[in-house]
Order: sequence, then structure tokens, then C-alpha cells
Amino acid sequence: MGSLRAQTPSDATLMHSKNICLLFATDFGAFNQYWEGELLRENQTVATVHRYTSTTMAAIGVLDKLDFYVGVPYVTTRSSKPNGGKFAGVSNFQDIIFAAKYQVLNFQSEKGQFLFLTTVGYSTPISDYLSDYKPYSIGLGAPEFSARGILQYKTAFGLFLRGDVAHLWRGYTKAERDYYYNDGSYYTAWMDVPDAWNYEAALGLWCFSNSLKFEVNYFGLKSTSGDDIRPYNAAQPTNKVEVDRVGASIQYFLPRTGFGAIVYHNRVIEGRNVGKSHNTGIGVTYQFSIKKKQHEE
Amino acid sequence: MKNKFLKISITLSCLTGLFLSISCEKDLPTYLEFESAPFASIDENGGTWKPVLLASGSQITIEAPSSTSSEAYQNELADVRDKMNSITGKQKKDITYWTNNPLIRWNEIALELIAKYNLIPGPNPDGTYTLPDPTNPDGPPPFPFAHPPYACRALAYMSVAQFDGLITAWNYKFQYNRTAPYKQDSSIQYAYPDNNIPSYPSDGAVVGRASRLILEAMFPLEKDYLQQKEAEFFNSLILSGGNVQSDIDAGIEIGNNVAAIALERAANDGMKKAQTPKAVSDSIKAAAYARFGWAWENLEVPPRPVGLTPLFGKVKTWNVPNIEAVRPPVPPQLDSEAFQQDVQILKNYADNMNTEWRSIANFWQDGLGTYTPPGHWNRFANQFITEDHFNPLRAARTMAYMNMAIMDSGIGCWDAKYYYHYPRPIQMIDNFQTIAGTPNFPSYTSGHSVFSAAASEVLAYVFPERASLVRGWAEEAAISRVYGGIHWTFDAFVGTDQGREIAQFTINRAKQDGAN
Repeated sequence: MGSLRAQTPSDATLMHSKNICLLFATDFGAFNQYWEGELLRENQTVATVHRYTSTTMAAIGVLDKLDFYVGVPYVTTRSSKPNGGKFAGVSNFQDIIFAAKYQVLNFQSEKGQFLFLTTVGYSTPISDYLSDYKPYSIGLGAPEFSARGILQYKTAFGLFLRGDVAHLWRGYTKAERDYYYNDGSYYTAWMDVPDAWNYEAALGLWCFSNSLKFEVNYFGLKSTSGDDIRPYNAAQPTNKVEVDRVGASIQYFLPRTGFGAIVYHNRVIEGRNVGKSHNTGIGVTYQFSIKKKQHEE
Repeated sequence: MKNKFLKISITLSCLTGLFLSISCEKDLPTYLEFESAPFASIDENGGTWKPVLLASGSQITIEAPSSTSSEAYQNELADVRDKMNSITGKQKKDITYWTNNPLIRWNEIALELIAKYNLIPGPNPDGTYTLPDPTNPDGPPPFPFAHPPYACRALAYMSVAQFDGLITAWNYKFQYNRTAPYKQDSSIQYAYPDNNIPSYPSDGAVVGRASRLILEAMFPLEKDYLQQKEAEFFNSLILSGGNVQSDIDAGIEIGNNVAAIALERAANDGMKKAQTPKAVSDSIKAAAYARFGWAWENLEVPPRPVGLTPLFGKVKTWNVPNIEAVRPPVPPQLDSEAFQQDVQILKNYADNMNTEWRSIANFWQDGLGTYTPPGHWNRFANQFITEDHFNPLRAARTMAYMNMAIMDSGIGCWDAKYYYHYPRPIQMIDNFQTIAGTPNFPSYTSGHSVFSAAASEVLAYVFPERASLVRGWAEEAAISRVYGGIHWTFDAFVGTDQGREIAQFTINRAKQDGAN
């Protein structure tokens, strides 16, 4: 649930070709309530579930209008103590993420700039983590293909409004049991992870010659199918997940050094079959040119 | 079968080659798929086999059918032809689904209901717990909580009723010898492979009615669902060309009678008292503490005041005359070297958990929300029965003996659990964490081990060529609980011995039922 906002596949930022931006970020997430279907509840069996995510990501400017991304999160989960379940948490690398972002349209006038970009992404697990171990499992355990459209309007003054919509096609995840219940019996270890829509919106301001960015944002996710968590039962990867989350971030680029920093905080305000998480993250970015010519947006 | 419409679009991305590992459509099976095959035997003397609850295959009386030349029968045949002529696509699919061994499907319906109701009630906001109440099945929480003891008992009663009912059906089938509609009328095409089992009374109707009534009693909120399944199935029997209505009516009569006898036993087998009040539970615990100096504690938050079915060990067995006589020996003292060794073994598994141990723990976990270990073994039995092309009577025999042995072994296991009241690993090892959920009952012996050993022994008896396979599975199921961090090794090993010993009582009965 952690989200990074430093030249990510879902923002409207692009780099010049032959520029590389590296991101190292850590996200601290926790929830002590979750939605069982539509019912918000607590469960002392799991108490407060903590989730730490460390992400290493590289954004590479291939062309002036085309960026390529590759990243890997490392995730650790655990319950607070005391708890009634005594379940062991998990640590492992999650999914490797590849994405390509392309600027389709750039309409510039004296008043401002209108951008349209598209991103295609693909991610797949790179460790043997078990997705069927909720709420401690570190990922969905399934390949995901995404297609995203991003619109942004930015005034000459630096105020911007961005919106984007993505469809996430998820594959199947393999459990370690070959029977499960999903509104009926399933005699297989394969679980169908529901596809989903993802909506995002952001309102922000660039200031001090584009070295400082403030942003407030909304993140929405809606599975297109799936079942609900059953009463007092564990979640499973087949669940229908819905999330409405709001957040804010500040990003700062230290002039002429290539270094930057980002801090953010966000909170799930409404959901279905998901934890009512709040996440805080900090990250460091380092941007450099491989043709020895620094780019600043 | 479930198809995922949107995933078709992934096919496009598959074509690009880049996204091959998303993989395209998968068929996710919702039941055991098998072709209706000719039966390996027809067991014409099956009516002479010894039933479990009935005195003999002729205890329930079934009138002789009308002759095939009678007007009444000819009208029934015409009705079969009419219905077959207006068959719908859905009905054709139903025929394929139900197969010529519908016992498998009724067993799967039972497993599905077990998985649906195998949910432990959570705490109320004030920290108390409310138990499911059969007199108010809607709850909350809904009745029943289909935990392993509940599940094994439901399966045993259903399988025994099916078996006794089919012995009765076989008795009259070969006494009256009225052949099937497709043998009477060459214009009727049988949907399944031809066989020489007379059709009156309908064996399918016996299985359908007996199963429906037992399951309805065990899962009262599923009445409508079960009646709809039964109606669909009875229709399918006619549309297959295998039965006329009077075949089905006679089968229903057997099903009604045998289910009533089975449910009469169930009403008085002691299960009603298995979930005790707290005072009784506390005195059981105090007795164990006085005897051995230890007692199991529930460590949930908030704590559950009473463990799961403390008196399931007192429930009436099927084939074991005295369950306390086969109680396993005392487990290791908590200050013994044997116990300390086990602590080290458990810590070692937890500290060095790997994918192999984890996947074994998960494969056999059969925990909340699933069909339970007894259900897992029923699934294996279904598979073997179809692979070996057993007829419905042979299939019912297998299931009846296996499920009786599983239930008896469960009763023996619960007797040991609450007599010894032995603590779980999370209670004895500081800061111990597990990858499986610790259940709400004492540790010694392991239910999974006992259920699996008993089931595997009966399957080894019925399918001798699979003996080493199923015994190996039972041993893996046993050790899986140690990998999961919720059982001591002696819970598992002694539990396996206990299940094997208890199954022998049932196997000895099977050897004398006339089927060999």
C-alpha cells in the first residue's frame, strides 16, 4: 500500500534522455482495523499489523519523451504484541516492477502546459513468498500487467492538477493448498487474483524554480470481481479489494547536486477487504546524466 | 468451472511475448472431473451384505414394482421419452455433472457445506463469545460451526446412510430384476455406459434422498439449496434414460427410511453435550492438572472460556467397544529430557523455516474455512473410487468404513486431548510464533495425525495397491503440524499410532460384511 512519488510510473514527470534517477525509499505502514467485506472491525488475533517496505527503483530517460522504470521492494510484516494468533511475520523481496512511460501530448501555451502520458507496466514475484498467508503475505503473488493514462495541467505559476486511470490485469497466484472456498469449492492451488481499476488524482505546486513540490493526492483501487473476507476469517488473494486513500507529499531537489528527498503520509479512509492503513514514507533520490549534462525540470 | 472474461484481454499481452508469465486462461475446477466409466463390478449379491444400522438389506420393505408390460409402466416410459425429447442444454450439463456415480457429488456437496460453515465465531464487542445454537440456526453466529469433529460426524452419518440404503436397494434390485428404461425401449439412449444393474429401486434416488436429509439436519440453513440440488439430480436420473419415476419413488422411500434411522442415532450419540458449559470444562481441566501437573490454556485475545467440544471423546463410537481402552500412553513430563528435545525441534523448524516445510504445513493445514482433514481424506477417496470405476454400492462401502473409522479415531483423539489436557507449543515456549493457527483445544494427540492415520488404513485396506502411498500421506499430514509449530512430535507420532489402532476395529468389521 506504500506509494512513492518521485518520478514514478504514475506521475507526469519525465526526464531527458540519458538521465538516470535512483530512488531509495522506506515506507512504514500499519493498521489495527480492517474491513471484513464492508464491516470495519478490529481483531486481536492479529492486533496491529505492521508492514515495512524498502524500495530501490531506477528511472531511466531513454528518449526525451520516454522513461523506463525498474524497481524492487523488500517487505517485512509482523503483528504487534500481545496478539492472540502468535503468527510469524514474513520478510522477503516482493515483485520486480518494470514500466515504460511515454509522453503522447505536450501542449504548451503562455498560461500553462497540458500533458498526456501513458504508462505500461509489468510486475512479477521474484521470491518464493506465499501470497496465501494474509495479512502477513507481502504481495499478491501474481503477475500484473497495467496500462495507465495520465493527464496533467500545470500553470506557468507552478500549480498543477493531475489525474490518472489505470487498469490492472492480474494473473493467478499459487497457494500451497489445493482446496479453498471462494463462494464455493475450488479444487486447485491456483487462485484468481481479481483485476482492478486504479484512479489517482493530485493537486500540487512546484516552487523555488521547480526545486520544491507540494502535493495532496487521492488513490483509489477497485477490484472488478472477488469474494469478501468471511466473518472472523483470514483474508485471501481472491478477495474483492477496494481502497480510497488520501495523502500528501513534499519533494525537494537540492539544486546542482542531483540529490533530492521526498516525505509523504497517507491514510486509507474507506475500503473493502483491506486494512485501514496509514503509511509514512521517506526517500532519497539521486539523478545523474550519463552524457554529463544535468537536467532539471 | 470458472472462466474469467477479462483475462481474455491478457491473451493480447501474451502475444507480445513480454508478458508470457501472466499466463492466459486457467480453468479452476470446482469439483472432481471424471468420465462416467463402466463399473468394475456390479455386485449382484450386494443385497446380502451386512449393513451398519439396519439388520439386513430387507429390513426396509419395498413393494414389487409394476410389470414392464403394464400400462402404468408403459406410461412411465413414455414420460421418460417425452422429457428426453425436450431436454435443455442446462439439463445435458447436469447429466454430465452428476455422472453414473453421484455419490461422489453428494460427498462434494457435504465438503462444500463443511468449508462454508467451518468458521469459528469471533468475540463480541464486550469480549464474550456466543456459540452457535441449533435451536436458533440463523444466529449470529450461524449454526453450525463445522469444525473437524462436527465434520467427521456429518460425513460418517451421511456415508453410513448411503451404504445401508444401497444394500437395501441392491437387495430389491436383484430380487425384482426390473431392468432400466433404456433396456426396455431401444429408442431411449442411456447417457452413461451400459450396465446390468436393475433400475428398481433407483440407487441414485437412495443416495440423493438419504444425503439430502442427513445434510439438511446437519446444515439446517441449507434446506433450500439441498432441495434444489436434489430436484436437479432426480430430474437428471430420468433424463439420463436410467430410471422411470417409480424407480425413483422406491429409492426415495429407502432414502427416507434409512435417513430417519441414522438421524435417530445421531440425535442420541452424545454430540449435543460435547460442547460443555464452562464449569464442566473447568473441572475437566482441574482433573488433568491434579493428575499430571499441567493444563492446556487458550491464549487467544480475548481468551475463549471453553475449548472445542471437551466431551466429544464421550460420543458414541461406531466400531470401538471402549474408547478409553485404546487411550495412548502419558505424554512426556514438562521437565523431562524428551520434552526439552521437542522444544529444540520446534524452535529449529521455526528458526530455519524453508519452502519445503512451509508447503507441507500448508498443504495439510485444512484449517478454518476449509473442508477439514476428514474432508481432505474424503476427497482422496472420491478420486480413488472414480479411478477404479467402483459402482455406487462399492463406493458407499468405502466411504462408510472410512468415515466411521475417521469419526471413531476423532472420538479417541478427543478423549486423549481432554484427559491429558496437554499444553500447546505457544504456551510452553517463550515468544514462540507459528505459521499455522493454533487450535482451541489441547495438544496431545494431534487430530490431523489421528484422522489421517485412520483414513489411510481403511483406504489401504480397500485399495491395497495404494497402501504405501496413503500411509506416506498420513505420516506427512502428521509431521506437517510440527512444521506448522502447533504440535509436538509425540502428538504427531503417537497420534498416527492411535489412528491406525482405532481403524482396525472398523476394518475388522469390513472384513466380515460379505463383500469380499
